[in-house]
Amino acid sequence: MKLRCERDVLVDALGTAGRAVAGRSGALPVLSGVRLEVTGDHLTVTGTDLDLTITVSSMVNGSVDGVVVAPGRLVTDIVRALEPGAVTLETGDSESGDEDLRITAGRSAFTVRTHPAGDFPRLASPSGDAVTLPAEGLSEALRQVVRAASGEDSRPILTGVLMAAEAGGLRLVATDSYRLAVRDLPGAGAVLSEGQKVLVPSRALGELQRLLGSAAGGDVELRLGQHDATFGTGSVALTSRLIEGEFPNYRQLIPASYPNRLVVGREALLDAVRRVKLLARDATTPVRIALRPDGIELTVITTDWGTATEDVDAKYEGAEMTVAFNPAYLIDGVEAVPTDEVVLDTLDALKPATLRPTDSDDYLYLLMPVRVS
Amino acid sequence: MTAGNVATLWHTGAVARPTIIHVDMDAFYAAVEVLDDPSLAGRPLIVGGTGARGVVAACSYEARVYGIRSAMPTARARSLCPHATFLPGRFDRYREVSEGLHAILSDVTPLVEGIALDEAFLDVRGAEALFGPAPSIAADLRARITAELGLSSSVGVAPSKFLAKLASEAAKPVVSDGGTRPGAGVVVIEEGQELAFLQPLPIEALWGVGPATAARLRRLGLSTVGSLAAVPLATLEGAVGRSHGRHLHRLAHAIDDRPVEPDRTVKSVGHEETYATDRFDPAVLHTEVLRMSDAVAARLRDAGVAGRTVTVKVRYGDFRTITRSRTGPDDLDASRDVARAASALLDAVDVSPGVRLLGVSVSALRPVGAPSAEQLTLRLDAPAERPEAERSAGWAAAADAVDEVRRRFGARSVGSAALIGPGGLRVKRQGDTQWGPAAPGADGGPGSGGRRRERDALP
Repeated sequence: MKLRCERDVLVDALGTAGRAVAGRSGALPVLSGVRLEVTGDHLTVTGTDLDLTITVSSMVNGSVDGVVVAPGRLVTDIVRALEPGAVTLETGDSESGDEDLRITAGRSAFTVRTHPAGDFPRLASPSGDAVTLPAEGLSEALRQVVRAASGEDSRPILTGVLMAAEAGGLRLVATDSYRLAVRDLPGAGAVLSEGQKVLVPSRALGELQRLLGSAAGGDVELRLGQHDATFGTGSVALTSRLIEGEFPNYRQLIPASYPNRLVVGREALLDAVRRVKLLARDATTPVRIALRPDGIELTVITTDWGTATEDVDAKYEGAEMTVAFNPAYLIDGVEAVPTDEVVLDTLDALKPATLRPTDSDDYLYLLMPVRVS
Repeated sequence: MTAGNVATLWHTGAVARPTIIHVDMDAFYAAVEVLDDPSLAGRPLIVGGTGARGVVAACSYEARVYGIRSAMPTARARSLCPHATFLPGRFDRYREVSEGLHAILSDVTPLVEGIALDEAFLDVRGAEALFGPAPSIAADLRARITAELGLSSSVGVAPSKFLAKLASEAAKPVVSDGGTRPGAGVVVIEEGQELAFLQPLPIEALWGVGPATAARLRRLGLSTVGSLAAVPLATLEGAVGRSHGRHLHRLAHAIDDRPVEPDRTVKSVGHEETYATDRFDPAVLHTEVLRMSDAVAARLRDAGVAGRTVTVKVRYGDFRTITRSRTGPDDLDASRDVARAASALLDAVDVSPGVRLLGVSVSALRPVGAPSAEQLTLRLDAPAERPEAERSAGWAAAADAVDEVRRRFGARSVGSAALIGPGGLRVKRQGDTQWGPAAPGADGGPGSGGRRRERDALP
């Protein structure tokens, strides 16, 4: 294999594919490698940990077709450190008979041992029909929903994001059992047949969100298979294993109506919560919100550090009461609301509250309070 | 600044007046037994687990003449001295005596740091103005302990905790083949004498040097604290790791600036138990977990604390030991909640090799009544379940009722139905079989007869 290209092309490809490279110790050694394949002037770079696979395609100046699997972290570090300009990658036999990868740029030259290319898993991508989603809408939906998924492996189902056909659209749902985020993408119903649903690991969707964040506009091609899903964005394909199992029945959690409604400026609320949160030095200290007709008062009380309060102007209709939330969870929900004002609906201090935008029912963030005494 | 300068500074830093006192009771548990039963005086006496797997918790100086030491398997002690008296230990009684000891110490200064029932550090820098120089305070304390408690103690006085502890060790009675002779009782390490005292000692005298570290240091030809002090810091760091090396280097130069911390807050509350034979049956182990959880929860409530982390410890027959812990969002102090978490942890442990020791503990403690916060959860499963709030409140009330009944009618008056055995309710109490189980039919042990029975009875 031999190719020549600009350093930055390689840095991008290696950096993106490298995000799927197995970080865990104990994985197969070959999974710590990235697979580079040259066919004509096409270079594809692939990283995988068997759950998540990312493949990046780039145009390069290829001179010899071939495949090599090189240590991902090392090669990425090397290429990133090179002087800007042209880089040449070339395989060659080492004295011991194994294949080496030679990386040269300007006056720098590295010779790196490789993994046997045959050991790298052959990963089949779903072959079903592709459907197209606007990248912008999907990106926003991911930003709003992925954050509510659980990061703990103790309940694998909750580490996934549910993608389900819903009333002719696509619905994304995630919960870590403390909060629940639901986002509808109307008109994206062609993705799934009515009633169909899949559970995609939130880690994969987080990576997809990163990819979409850096590419404005465009489309995402989605292919669903029996056990995996592939998201394609131009030059990058991200394939994830699907999570098996039944997602909790989230519909029964969403109250049908609320007696109390608060409407408050999104930025004003975020700024105030971030300020009083400074006093919450451990993850379990809640922020208390006193709901009054003329506005709200935020309070954080700790035995070790002191107290913080802040008043925020707001419109409130309902019974006067105080409700407490985990400040990080509250910030996650308020940030995810796209409008200038957010609506906070409450039942009482111990029942789930809901954050949503003022102008649509596309997004809902259900948040369980913290009981304080 | 060169490394040499740093070492010199440290030398000067170590020179301070001896104002830290370490009080250590002599053969405490054994001495309390003799106090309560003078007929045992002058005889080899061993307190600890009396069953096949018990260990020696304490032994009288008469027993030490036979080579018996703390932490030795009781079976070994029995073969070394078959005619010794073996007692299972009475934790409640030791604690009672310990409270008397701490009351005496607290008369001198509020700066008392209890390390164990039978040992404490005092910082008497401030108290010297009232009671005279530290060495005379030490001598007075020792005399008062003898007069008021009828027990003998050894007292060390030095400029730091580490040296004070070594000094009290040097004040202990001396055991030799010929018998025991009294020790100095009080040993003072005077200002300027720190290194002269410290450096001839074997490296094992340093806090943090166990058998593994000692072996590694001896391979480097380092057998005394003095030889260790002479080695460059970098060499030590290379031999035993960076932070450990630094720590030993400082100690070898008599540098220890840890303050005496009064009222050491409890970090965790736990119980563990060694079984006479390995336990294989998960059902039996789950009952044991319930029993220990109940005892742990009662002590948590007694101390007015609750904790978020529950840990289960399992030691297999081959001494391989594993711990599994779980930190939840809520502070737990109800038996049922602790037991539920501990049971779930035990479920994830393979008990098929046979369990020799089982333990349950709760940590990440907070005072109950301090502003508390409980993150409520969405009811993702089982819509039929009662609301979380109602359930917790119900069990907290039940736990309070259990505590009240036990206060009035004794520890074995009420407990979980799963704990009822042929001998009645088997409630775990602190100190029970901590050093291994009693021999069948031996003294102590719930429901068994024996000499100590009347003291074991409920108030």
